Amino acid sequence: MLLLGPVNVLNDLLLRFFSQETINFFIWPLIQIGLVVTLVALWVAYATYLERKISAFMQARLGPMRVGPWGLLQPIADGLKLLTKEDFIPEKADRWIFFFAPYIAVASAFIVFSVVPFGPDWAVIADVNIGLLLVLAVSSVGVLALILAGWSSNSKYALLGGLRSSAQMVSYEVAMGLSLIGALMFARTLSLSGIVGAQGSDSIWFILYQPAGFMLFLISGIAENNRAPFDLPEAESELVAGFHTEYSGMRWSLFFMAEYAAMVVVSAVAATVYLGGWYFPFVYRLETAGYHNLYVIVSLLVFLVKVSIILYIYFWLRWTLPRFRYDQLMDIGWKWLIPSALINIALSAIAIFLVQALNGYRGMRTIESLDRGLNLTATGKGIMIVIGFAGVFIIAALLARINWRSRDFNLKTQRRNIRLVNLPKGKPAVSVSEV
Amino acid sequence: MPLVKTPKPTWSQKLKRFFMIDLIKGLGLTLKYNIGAITDKDSVAGKGIYTEQYPKVRPDVAPRFHGAPRLNMDPETHDTLCIACNLCAIACPEDCIDVIAMDVEIIVAGKPRRKKVLDEFIFDTSRCMFCALCQEACPTACLELTQEFELATYSRAGFVWNREMLEQGRETVKYTS
Amino acid sequence: MHQVEIATTQETLLDSPEMVLNMGPQHPSTHGVLRVVLRLDGETVIDLDCDIGYLHRGMEKIAENRMYTMIAPYWDRLDYIAAVSNGLVWVETVEQMMGLAVPPRAHYLRTILTEFNRIASHLLWLATHALDIGAITVLLWALREREEILKIFERQFGARLTCHAWRVGGMPNDAYDDFEKDVRQFANNFPKRLDEYETVLSENRIWLSRTVGIGVISAADAIAIGLSGPSLRGSGVPWDVRKSRPYAAYADVDFDVPLGENGDTYDRYLVRLEEMRQSRRIILQALENLPDGPVNAKLPKVVKPPVGDYYHSIEGPKGEIGCYLVSDGTAQPYRVRVRPPSFINLQALKQMCVGHLVADVVAIIGTLDIVLGEIDR
Ligand code: SF4
Ligand code: SF4
Repeated sequence: MLLLGPVNVLNDLLLRFFSQETINFFIWPLIQIGLVVTLVALWVAYATYLERKISAFMQARLGPMRVGPWGLLQPIADGLKLLTKEDFIPEKADRWIFFFAPYIAVASAFIVFSVVPFGPDWAVIADVNIGLLLVLAVSSVGVLALILAGWSSNSKYALLGGLRSSAQMVSYEVAMGLSLIGALMFARTLSLSGIVGAQGSDSIWFILYQPAGFMLFLISGIAENNRAPFDLPEAESELVAGFHTEYSGMRWSLFFMAEYAAMVVVSAVAATVYLGGWYFPFVYRLETAGYHNLYVIVSLLVFLVKVSIILYIYFWLRWTLPRFRYDQLMDIGWKWLIPSALINIALSAIAIFLVQALNGYRGMRTIESLDRGLNLTATGKGIMIVIGFAGVFIIAALLARINWRSRDFNLKTQRRNIRLVNLPKGKPAVSVSEV
Repeated sequence: MPLVKTPKPTWSQKLKRFFMIDLIKGLGLTLKYNIGAITDKDSVAGKGIYTEQYPKVRPDVAPRFHGAPRLNMDPETHDTLCIACNLCAIACPEDCIDVIAMDVEIIVAGKPRRKKVLDEFIFDTSRCMFCALCQEACPTACLELTQEFELATYSRAGFVWNREMLEQGRETVKYTS
Repeated sequence: MHQVEIATTQETLLDSPEMVLNMGPQHPSTHGVLRVVLRLDGETVIDLDCDIGYLHRGMEKIAENRMYTMIAPYWDRLDYIAAVSNGLVWVETVEQMMGLAVPPRAHYLRTILTEFNRIASHLLWLATHALDIGAITVLLWALREREEILKIFERQFGARLTCHAWRVGGMPNDAYDDFEKDVRQFANNFPKRLDEYETVLSENRIWLSRTVGIGVISAADAIAIGLSGPSLRGSGVPWDVRKSRPYAAYADVDFDVPLGENGDTYDRYLVRLEEMRQSRRIILQALENLPDGPVNAKLPKVVKPPVGDYYHSIEGPKGEIGCYLVSDGTAQPYRVRVRPPSFINLQALKQMCVGHLVADVVAIIGTLDIVLGEIDR
């Protein structure tokens, strides 16, 4: 209740100038948006810090240490540095497109936060009933920014980067959308808050029902964000910096921010859909005990922790795995991820059907109710989880079989060994046939 | 695509591939490093962090290191050890040493004698490749390449060291924090 | 000539015009200032051309105006990654031309330290090769081990990169006090580190798909181009100067030569990793049998090889480093010519790359392990 004190005071203050309606529908949302944008920007900035620290630890070094204790002020110093750098526009570039491309990237990444449920009640900015669709739609606008940036720079590297990114994002968008459908079958809603609610009312995380879907979503999300091992549009060893080769200063950092924001978005969606969002067992007891705001804040923290865990997976993969090649990336997208997602949908449907059919078979009760989502009893959950985990292997085995003849699959065999020969000493030349 | 010969995978290898053991092993190693760095432990050499916090922590430079040049002086009399023999200048492949000598008259055993003494010593560190040939040529162990390694200056002229700098050492700003 | 066939048999879906892409001289993965002019169809390489010379310093001409003893530090700057090996080829050429007998201790120390240099060079190759293919973490791990070697170099030679390690007739200094301890400590830890790199790379499916079948060059082609070193052995040609014409103390140590089979990037990767293991073996053997005694031969006042010419070559980390020396009997060489392994290995680039994608060009440049200081001289 303490927390609401200042809010009420502010409300009273605003009432002097505006009507209660304007305040409710205009002023408060604005304040909310401002708060969320600031927090998200900070979060994104510190995601870069975390990435640098984690990568440093993985590489047996310390990472940023100079600005502030443990380099904690490094993101701010970076931001200041980038702000003061020259904003260079190449002479032959398409000025206006070059100018605006970074803003499209940032905007598309930040808009998505409007529907992400950070917590229950006031921690949601907008609970849109097609939230998930909005997320997918808006984040695919991001690709436009990359293409425009690559095209307008009038540089071949940027162009190649832009082309790569468009092809990559278009193909992975499909896999990303398809992989979510399995989870949606259980949630029966597109509203992100609704999905969290479905998991809460069922007290289960959908990752247990949909491990394959989660993996597929994460992989295609990583690819969608152009992160390693799918970071081809900006593969620095091939394309210098890909689509943002010609960008500098703040405009470059906008792309950078967009990348991290998009990463946070995908993590947030993954956390919401598969890890139960802000839902955590027993936290609701705070609500029943009457600490509403505390409940919201604890839920918010739970959500942040979940997102951070997925972000860590992002960093972890990036700093471990080598980069795919362009054609291999397409192979994975079209030959592996999309078929997997389709099989996953089929499997989920079969699983749901099976669980429903089993209800009442020899006195088994698997379904509690079908009012909101699919409320299962413990037996039902067990069956579903078993099918879910079996599904991962079924899908993998099926695809390995389907792709068996694929050239790329056969190339990727296990490690080879080399011969060790003890050549005779002092013998000038040894012919190939001799050894 | 040129075909390469690869051995037929065994079943255990196939299973390993199926369960992505290759990727998981790699991820496990990086995770181990991550934890090792936080706890500053490592299974191989016993420490988790290998970098040095350079300006804060000075590196310990090996005694033989070829760094900034110095003209040594006699520790008691504070006279230079250099006898202006020019051997270092001859030995230098890059011609970065100029020894300027002058003749002075000294009295040895009651007789006036002319002796060559060092007047000025110019050492161009911008062209020096720190090969230490000059140091090896010096008969009196006067010219020495020291452990000092911070040689950056703001101007080209700053790289040319004169006798005073060589004897006293150049003043460098040491950033410590 | 299978690679060329690919280029012609591969059909282009869209009738797209070719694109000419300038890779370098400022490009993160051309390992210096190599400029590769790529002709691309989409992202497939149709043709390429290397433009070199951005790092030309006229080393061979400089050598004509220097005393024999003064040239060694310049030789470090040819292949600055393998400065110790490069220095060795110079001093050994001069010594053998003059008929100088170098004391055995110096020979053994030379063996140990050049093998260390081979490991350091291969580690840097591994670091950059992995970085080119996207495994960034291996870069810092490999550099960490390289740092240990550079510390040994710093303590022994007084410099880390361009060491000026040898003098004509021996070495400037005997081994420092803790030399043996440092070497043993490194040798103890190193195999575990190599296993760690292998954990991340050797079996990794992404690494395999990026390296297997990429940049294949057959043994016959490799010999025709004149490849040497691991790039040649990756194609299965048993050729190692350390074995065929042993120099320093290589005649007294026992080691194996790793040979690849297919001549692709993955084979060359394995060959280099195995070479590091073998180098460690050589180091330990040489350290075990390290004789006592002086490290310097008695030199005449001015080093003057007799009139004539002489060719000597050693097995550098990147291949056969040769030095052809013509002397007119004065204190300065009449003409010096270097056989730079990187320069000759680079000739294979076109044959290896045509038909592959841009990303593979990067991998192939990495696997050839070129150093521009040596190519341009
Ligand atoms: S270190 Fe070498 S280059 Fe430098 S002054 Fe001495 S001899 Fe000349
Ligand atoms: S060799 Fe030594 S003594 Fe001779 S001029 Fe040079 S510094 Fe002086």
